[in-house]
Amino acid sequence: MKKLMEQVMNDVIDRKGEGDLILSSSKALKMSAQNGEINEYKVSSSQILGVRVIRDGKVGISYTESLDDESLKLFVKQAFENAEMSEANSNEGILDLSGHLSDEADYPESEVDVSVKTKKTLELESEVKRLDSRVKVVPHSSYTEGESKSLYLSSAGRSTSYFDKSYTIVGSALMEDLGRKANYYDYSIAHTFDQLNWKKVLETSLFHAGNLLDEKALPTGKYSVRFTEDTLKSIIGCFSNFYSAQSGMEKSNPWIEKLGEEVISKDLSLKDEPLYPAAFRKSLFDSEGVERKSLSLIENGVLKNFYHNSKTARHYKAQSTGHASRGAGSSLGVDGTYMILDGKNKKPLPRKYLEVIQADGLYSGANRITGQFSVAIKGYVWENGVRTMTFGNITLSGNLMELLKTAEVVGEQLVASTDESFFSVPLMFHDVSIAGT
Amino acid sequence: MKLLSAEVVQDVIGCGLSMGADFVDVFVERTQSENMVYRNSRVEDSQSGTIFGIGIRIVYGNQALYGYTNSTEREELLRITKLLAARIGKSASGKAVNFESLKYSKIATLLDKEIVALDKISKLKKIDESLRSGDPKVSQVILNFMKKKQLVEIYNSDGLFATEERPYIRLYQQVILKDGSLQSEASSGPGAIGGWEFMENFNIEESTEMLLKQANTTLYAKACPAGKMPVVIDNGFGGVIFHEACGHLLETTSVEKKASVFWDKMGEQIAHGALTAVDDGTIDGAWGSLSIDDEGMPTQKTTLIENGVLKRFISDRLGEQKTGHKRTGSGRRQSYKFAPASRMRNTYIDKGPYSLEEIISSVPDGIYAKKMGGGSVDPSTGQFNFAVQEAYLIKDGKITTPVKGATLIGKGADIMTRISMVGKDLKLMAGMCGSVSGSIPTTVGQPPIKVDEILVGGEA
Repeated sequence: MKKLMEQVMNDVIDRKGEGDLILSSSKALKMSAQNGEINEYKVSSSQILGVRVIRDGKVGISYTESLDDESLKLFVKQAFENAEMSEANSNEGILDLSGHLSDEADYPESEVDVSVKTKKTLELESEVKRLDSRVKVVPHSSYTEGESKSLYLSSAGRSTSYFDKSYTIVGSALMEDLGRKANYYDYSIAHTFDQLNWKKVLETSLFHAGNLLDEKALPTGKYSVRFTEDTLKSIIGCFSNFYSAQSGMEKSNPWIEKLGEEVISKDLSLKDEPLYPAAFRKSLFDSEGVERKSLSLIENGVLKNFYHNSKTARHYKAQSTGHASRGAGSSLGVDGTYMILDGKNKKPLPRKYLEVIQADGLYSGANRITGQFSVAIKGYVWENGVRTMTFGNITLSGNLMELLKTAEVVGEQLVASTDESFFSVPLMFHDVSIAGT
Repeated sequence: MKLLSAEVVQDVIGCGLSMGADFVDVFVERTQSENMVYRNSRVEDSQSGTIFGIGIRIVYGNQALYGYTNSTEREELLRITKLLAARIGKSASGKAVNFESLKYSKIATLLDKEIVALDKISKLKKIDESLRSGDPKVSQVILNFMKKKQLVEIYNSDGLFATEERPYIRLYQQVILKDGSLQSEASSGPGAIGGWEFMENFNIEESTEMLLKQANTTLYAKACPAGKMPVVIDNGFGGVIFHEACGHLLETTSVEKKASVFWDKMGEQIAHGALTAVDDGTIDGAWGSLSIDDEGMPTQKTTLIENGVLKRFISDRLGEQKTGHKRTGSGRRQSYKFAPASRMRNTYIDKGPYSLEEIISSVPDGIYAKKMGGGSVDPSTGQFNFAVQEAYLIKDGKITTPVKGATLIGKGADIMTRISMVGKDLKLMAGMCGSVSGSIPTTVGQPPIKVDEILVGGEA
């Protein structure tokens, strides 16, 4: 494959251009259980090669899943034809980096026969039914294992190689009782089969589905709200344009002119930590082959930096922060790795607050320019440290920027999201609009 | 010339049958696509690509085994087939399958006209200029032009061979307004199955007016009040409410698991008598149309609900096998990387007798949702949520103040019984639907409708 990439790169250089190549391949096995049998069993392998070419400041992109000689010649030609359609932009260019970087995971793991995987997947369905007679149907019980490989080569001589393997299980419980229905999903993700937490998935699905059977709407009004790390991660992730220099160039980042200003509570700091030890996996380099390092986005409430790739860095006369993102079939963008939302000046928990465990419709109900969002939520009412009620069928409306300005820190330890990609101190948001009865 | 030799397909299907499979099908796809992003008044991104692969499905009873690869090599395809079939461990005497080409009537697509790149850029430039000159507050215009051609070949162990070429074209427009510290956005994404004629017929002035009005409304709108109230949902993308709150619950993918609140309601009154709903794969030029589905069955017009009574489910081959509900030509998938599943095509609430004015005038105090955003549903409980992009208060039967930040939530089964008035002016809109077999082009639509009561999320 390395030889094939060098051959394609020679074609790019022969056409008087510069560029970079990404070859991605993946293999996966997925199975799902339904009514006591494996009703879906999927084996897959695929690959895709993408090229970004730049000539006279004009950029063009092309990709192909056919790797025969004819397709390879054609796709390079198409990339240059695409470049001709673009307008010249002096910010486009390949970074002057050379040498090889490798990030190929090698997790020690024992050999697990497919019959064991099948048995465990079937149990994910049967056990949830056995443990609670109110579970009539299990909409989702699946096991997936996959590996992904990626090679990068630039015309400047930078090359990288990446390999990773992951295992995921998803479980659910659809409960019915007295004409009421409630469903809850949970999942576990790991680098080896042995690390999968089957018990947690079963117990979490049953626990929340059981409680949600009793969900009631709350009266419309203002409440104190605490989000679980998974829901807070979704909300903060939905507004990733706020931290993106690329969104600034596209005029869709409302914070782009606020560097050095206090944008959220001065008790809060936000960092991107690609090498964070507790994260799911360290991320050593970005999609342009730039080595990653810690990036302070917000420090004590003050906006410090944005995610940059080479293009945005040239535009804003800054340095690439190692946050370039590009798939084989897509153009250059920026993306974060692992977010750490830290805080200080811990305050006591309020006597009564809502804990949001599920927020639906975030992406359709969010305005990424204004920070306004509205979601359907479910969760628990806590009073005096005791869970007193389950709520649902209500909505929460707010503005992320305003919420983060008034957020209070109510814990000291960072807590991880389920996928170990987001870490936050416990936060409390006050006077949040809830629409219900 | 075929994408994959029929002899190789015969070997693959023969191999599956000799390993005891009840049914085998092979889906071959080649999709060529091009995308152009026009932003900051210039072409900022231009790309093209080829997707190519083969999906093999082997069915034993109700179990579907699926594999895919980019390779056309006989050995690799047989390796995948054997790997899948080995999971069951059966054998049978193999039989030779001879393919017969399916004859079907094709939907009328637009002409799939091709043009040179400069003409595309010129059209995008005109749209950009129209939006920017339409309002001094415009701070950004983003146009994403997409065109692709999907060629599919479908073979199965019943001897079927079917092929179809599907040209798609779509323009996604986003405009951002800024006035001091206030910002807002508006977007739309019309699309069709067809070629450049779609863009030639695209009405720039009408589109500009609609987008700028929507963005201006949101820019200065007050927060939407919260609570339960009647809501009038206008035509076009308003149909997303039916798509999410009811359509997904009528797919046999949910019905077969009994994970739909409607799984045992065939023939029963599940909606208000005013409501008739249709899923139609045969509408000429419509974004969600297909001549044949991804299992090689000619598509059809399927009446799902008639005067409130559940008449049909949306069914694919396995859905029929598991539930007994006849196939409707609705087996669809994003690409060869997905096994087909029962999915919607062009789904809409059919016309009723009322004008929009008559519907609005029947509401003393409520919300007029002129343009809906996206939404989602949990089919197992029927709970849904939708964002409203452009909304106004209704007071004493008249449209009054613009409001923003409205979200509609509820349960599909409840909401269908509360659609009490259906308008005359049916309109369809293109969208993308994500579900078990990937993201596929679908059309949503409806005339204006009145929902007697729905929970509106907004400012408390």
